[in-house]
Amino acid sequence: MATADEALTFFENEVRPLLVKRCYECHSDTKQKGGLRVDHIGYLKSGGDTGPALVPGKPEKSALIEAVTYGNADFQMPPKEKLPASEIAILEKWIKMGAPWPEDAAKKVVVTEGGLTEQQRKFWAFQPVQKVSPPDAGGSWVRNDVDRFIAEKQAEMKLKPASEADRHEQVRRVYFDLHGLPPTKAQVDAFVNNKDSRAYEKLIDELLASPRYGERWAQHWLDLVRYAESDGYNQDAYRPHAWPYRDYVIKSFNDDKPYDQFVREQLAGDEIAPDDPNVFIATAFMRHPVYEYNLRDIRGQWDLIVTDMTDTAGELFLGLSMGCARCHNHKFDPILQKDYYRLRAFFTPVHWRDDLKLVPPGEKKAFDEQEAKWMTATAELRAKMDALTRPEIDKRVKTWLVSFPEDLQAMTNKPADQRDSLEKQLAGLCERQLDFARASFDPMKDIKDEKAKAEYKALREDLNKFDHLKPKPLPEAFVVTDAGPKAPANKLQTRKGDLEIEPGFPAIVDSAPPKITPTQTSTGRRTALADWITRADNPLSTRVIVNRVWQYHFGRGIVGSASEFGTLGELPTHPALLDHLTAKFVAGGWHFKALHREIMLSATYRQTARREPDEAVAKIDPANRYLWRFHPRRLDAEQVRDAMLAVSGELDLTAGGPASDGNGTRRSIYTRKKRNSPNDLLLALDMPAGFTSIAERQSTTTPTQALQLLNGDWLRARAHHLASRTKSIEDAWLAVLGRQPTDQERATAETFLETQMTRVKQAPPKNEIAANDQGFKVNTQHERLLVSVNDKEGDEFTVESIVKLDSVDKNAELRTLISHWDGGKASLESFGWSIDVTGQKSRYKPRNILMQLVGEDENANIGYQVVASDIHIEVGRRYHLVVQVSSARHSVTFTVRDLDTPGAAAQSAVVPMDRLSKLSQGASPIYLGGLGKRNPTRQWDGQIEALRIVSGTSAASMLSTDPEKWNAGLFIWRAADPLPSQFTWSGADSTADSEDTPLLKAMTSLCQVLLTTNQFFYLH
Amino acid sequence: MHCHRYDLPTSRRDFLQTAGCGFGAVALAALMDDKAQAAPLQLPQRMARAKSVIFLFMEGGPSHLDTFDRKPLLNELAGQSLPASFKTPLTAAGEGKSPLLECKRTWKQHGQGGLWISDWFTHVARHADDLAVIHSCASSGINHAGGVCSMNTGSLFGGRPSLGAWASYGLGTENKNLPAFVVIKDSESSVVNGVRNWGAGFMPAVYQGVEFHSDGTPIKYLDNPKGVDRREQREKLDLLGKLDHDFNASRASNTELEARIRGFELAYQMQAEAPGAVDLSKETAATKKLYGMDDAATATFGRNCLLARRLVENGVRFVQLYSGAGSKWDSHAGIEAKHSQLCHSVDKPIAGLLTDLKARGLLEETLVIWGGEFGRTPMSEKGDGRDHNPTGFTMWMAGGGVQGGRTHGTTDELGLYAVQDRLHVHDLHATILHLLGIDHTRLIYPHMGRPERIDQNEGRPYTKLV
Repeated sequence: MATADEALTFFENEVRPLLVKRCYECHSDTKQKGGLRVDHIGYLKSGGDTGPALVPGKPEKSALIEAVTYGNADFQMPPKEKLPASEIAILEKWIKMGAPWPEDAAKKVVVTEGGLTEQQRKFWAFQPVQKVSPPDAGGSWVRNDVDRFIAEKQAEMKLKPASEADRHEQVRRVYFDLHGLPPTKAQVDAFVNNKDSRAYEKLIDELLASPRYGERWAQHWLDLVRYAESDGYNQDAYRPHAWPYRDYVIKSFNDDKPYDQFVREQLAGDEIAPDDPNVFIATAFMRHPVYEYNLRDIRGQWDLIVTDMTDTAGELFLGLSMGCARCHNHKFDPILQKDYYRLRAFFTPVHWRDDLKLVPPGEKKAFDEQEAKWMTATAELRAKMDALTRPEIDKRVKTWLVSFPEDLQAMTNKPADQRDSLEKQLAGLCERQLDFARASFDPMKDIKDEKAKAEYKALREDLNKFDHLKPKPLPEAFVVTDAGPKAPANKLQTRKGDLEIEPGFPAIVDSAPPKITPTQTSTGRRTALADWITRADNPLSTRVIVNRVWQYHFGRGIVGSASEFGTLGELPTHPALLDHLTAKFVAGGWHFKALHREIMLSATYRQTARREPDEAVAKIDPANRYLWRFHPRRLDAEQVRDAMLAVSGELDLTAGGPASDGNGTRRSIYTRKKRNSPNDLLLALDMPAGFTSIAERQSTTTPTQALQLLNGDWLRARAHHLASRTKSIEDAWLAVLGRQPTDQERATAETFLETQMTRVKQAPPKNEIAANDQGFKVNTQHERLLVSVNDKEGDEFTVESIVKLDSVDKNAELRTLISHWDGGKASLESFGWSIDVTGQKSRYKPRNILMQLVGEDENANIGYQVVASDIHIEVGRRYHLVVQVSSARHSVTFTVRDLDTPGAAAQSAVVPMDRLSKLSQGASPIYLGGLGKRNPTRQWDGQIEALRIVSGTSAASMLSTDPEKWNAGLFIWRAADPLPSQFTWSGADSTADSEDTPLLKAMTSLCQVLLTTNQFFYLH
Repeated sequence: MHCHRYDLPTSRRDFLQTAGCGFGAVALAALMDDKAQAAPLQLPQRMARAKSVIFLFMEGGPSHLDTFDRKPLLNELAGQSLPASFKTPLTAAGEGKSPLLECKRTWKQHGQGGLWISDWFTHVARHADDLAVIHSCASSGINHAGGVCSMNTGSLFGGRPSLGAWASYGLGTENKNLPAFVVIKDSESSVVNGVRNWGAGFMPAVYQGVEFHSDGTPIKYLDNPKGVDRREQREKLDLLGKLDHDFNASRASNTELEARIRGFELAYQMQAEAPGAVDLSKETAATKKLYGMDDAATATFGRNCLLARRLVENGVRFVQLYSGAGSKWDSHAGIEAKHSQLCHSVDKPIAGLLTDLKARGLLEETLVIWGGEFGRTPMSEKGDGRDHNPTGFTMWMAGGGVQGGRTHGTTDELGLYAVQDRLHVHDLHATILHLLGIDHTRLIYPHMGRPERIDQNEGRPYTKLV
């Protein structure tokens, strides 16, 4: 036996240089392939992904030797070239000697179980939450225990708290904080003038009890779970059944649902209360990953979905960014690659379900029974219809199916009850695509044989006669379950082959295996995960949520990186306070409202933001980590939008239900969240896009944001509305800023109004409009006719007209007869339509009557379509032209009769259109003779003798070639009549501006400016 | 190893506030290491010729097999199945086993470098000695959504910043009154995935691309509201300035407040400047002709190419032009007709752009990139089309210090897989940043506790282009 000294000499001379030369490149401090490093015996002993690299004294049992001798074909090291026999011999000899390694104090690495070092284990976030007694600090400033911790730290840092905010500042802050809305003038007055010594406490209680509270705080949670209502990929299909989850979150906050229950429901609602739709919907939490409807790489797509669920859960609940550990042991955090796969294992059994309804079992049963009656009654009819459509549908499905890889085709062809869990998941994704192929078949468009089509139509009408038997459709459930009681494989690929990884928790926190109880239909894994996350002694999840709440109140967490509690994150500024609040939160039953109260009643929270740092403070704590004042903050996107609506008096507080368009007036949380077409204003103000979990909003200032505030129609419309109900400068200030203007502000505003009004008055008066006997002519006073109507024509309407066209464009431009459209195709403001006649070089052939439509398609995307009649008219002749639009029947019917040829028959065409809706909801008014946006090459040229729009696609009987007989319509235009006030001529030189008085116009500008001031945008 | 190290000398909040001003090299802080701090600050880190980028994105996937990557074997085996020696790929439309489709093009060698270019790009071919043709590009996206997202952001899924955002984050802009990153499409159709192709992902919005419309109002919301003229706009801004001034004065520690006022002033400047940048009335007829603007078939893309030159001239860092917005290059069937028309629509404009840039001495500092989200398969689809091929396709670069007249990398004999010097999208991104003088491993944005890079730590710059 060699002496200790000899052994070490051998090591230093022979072994260490060999390791450095041959192994360090991939297995030392910079890289640890396979999780292994060889620069210390501690690492070698604990090993990498596949276990210990060596067993001292036993070369034959050491993986290192197996690798270098190329003993296993899948596991050969170094991979490029086998070591010379002499070097292998050195390693064998060294291991046989017991693998001596010098004691190097400086480099000493104590490796404990799982390859984690002592130092890593001691990291603050992994320590149990401590029971802390609040320090005796702060004196009379203190209002509750929170303040003692803050005061102690401030004393230590030689900082002093700011004075208390005045009541104006307080009331604005707490309203925005808890409701996301500004207080009304009455609410401000009530609080400011309240003599009650407990007025503040009562206000907080009152605000927490209001439903507006849940609407605000749910938004924070929706950011974290990357909530959105569309698939977020190319098609970006709308998810029409996602909103019940949003309502679930709002209701949970309003009900003060304990956080542990909230978490359990979202992770495992299907396992713990499958029959309760109010709990089941919570599992939509696992439906938020992005999805593409036609991705043939089914396995790849599913892998990404599982990855997304895993990453989000790690960040959201544990404050650990697991993403790095997906591919390698985390470089800085003690998160092993195995930990990642352990967490992933909880989600591998998840099955996206589209076949369930969001109702209790009793209701479902009643539905099924009723539906069975309808099915029986209609079986024969449906079989006949099926026979007409089946061959083509089958063909489409087959074409789609064969494009999948063969193994997936086989899975999909298997009867559903014979599929294993993985097959259920993957075949389920295939089926979704096949359903898409099926749905692409539209009988009215795709049955080519006219006779068959007529037959189908007749059958459908017969079928409709049984509608009285049909039960009302049930709400679809946007949820998940497990694919079965047995989980699919969860493989970690290593050099030695795939390792099956069982569910478990990050080893640094808890290396005990979870207790998992499968049910008949489910693995029970997610319940086990939820139980662990909601354990009172979980050091991560408990602190993470309390820190988040603190962050949303103050703008900065006690831990500044709210979703990153690892070593890459920030250290807590007040660890004892965090533990104190956490312990209290958990002991008190995980209630958010109690936590809000605790935080908001503190003197710390009540400090003013109006304190400028003196030199000393600026030096000690420029970033205000120790809270020597309240953090000034810009309102976030939803707060800004909601506040604009609130002060303009237009805020629609309709709660819950399907989402509305962001250009409307509902609260932002109820507006549509389409990942690829977000609302312009919210996006410009840093609303997250919904792809990844977002813990903290950004607050950016860009010129494009400013352009939108200066020039966007939406804000201008709010300002206009506000101005129209504002009588004075004082009113405007009170409405927008909640206070009286100062004398100087009043003077500035007065000057502004005067300048603006003077200029408006100086504008040249509009010319008298001469009578119109030439019809519509470009570059005259009679270019277009603006029509004001009170009602909308909707998606089912008829345009009837008597027209004569003097010319068509010599190129490909159109002549527009009527439009309810600005000509755009990219925004919701541009929803609309026009009826036009084509030019000489048009690809639709000249003089073709056609219609252009922009509306919302089935996926809630913006759709644009040209529907051409292929009826060609002659110039210089009078026609009776009728266009009937039906979104429900998805067709446009054109009927044209030549009135100059006595007895001429009407030509008619029924042309299919896409299922576009909301055609009349664009921003442009109705114009005769052109588009909403003036375009000299798109004017009508000739007479529009008469024209009307009637809602609905009226029966032929009410149409008439004699306009004198027209007696109904949204409006009726007859060129021969004196001009009614409903119509305004718009000529080449007119600005076509609104009828606002100079004062209203100036006031609108003033209000718009007020709505963009820093005072409005900031809580400071 | 720097790849996971970063140290911001300022807090995240300060950082964002700086970013809030919108301009200048705000990534500087992240790029600095100890050495750089000791020495005077310099960006780019490496002397590079390329100062700006014009990325010509043929959306939908142009066929490399019929344009720049000549494969005689393809025509020999046309009509047969893929030989067994080739692994059957997973393709978007599942055409792995369809017969091979012949290439109908006439090929010639061009320039001193003898590059093979087909008759679909005769005008571009005259610039053969400026082109570095990379035959071995590869992507992970097999469908349009994944492919376009990947080519723009390096990821199949949304949420990450686009290449242009990284470039403006790293280098800032040289014209404060214009955005650093501009996108122009050739039609009103929307690019697959919509606006997030030029989004800033997890970075502040200031880095996102701004869409310019090639005629009319160049930027959304650039025009004053109806009935409001510039004088009135000025008065509104003055009022806003006055009202904010007093508020800000007593809150000097909140630098966001001043940044916001500057944002409004910049917007006002942009209103004045942007229309000029896209106003082509001062361009001569000869220039317009050079870009093919006198011919209806080439006018649209020609106009956009000319706009790109003007924007680059005006200090815009990154211009992306889409040809065939809405996947028009996609040719699952009838590739002959579709590609003929599209190649024709871009060939002369691109050649014009290269000529014009060169004549103005701008080509040396402008990197021009041509390509799509993937190429097309040697196998046929529907008889006369080609499926998506992300496993091997061609892109080319010109200008910006790139050595022309050369090819790089190869695909196999049928152009299906990249076999030599394979450059994944991550490598391409690293390479483009490299040409802009940025070490992509040090261009880091901290997000959610992770030091994020454009290539998700997977790319390597291909340095042989210079």
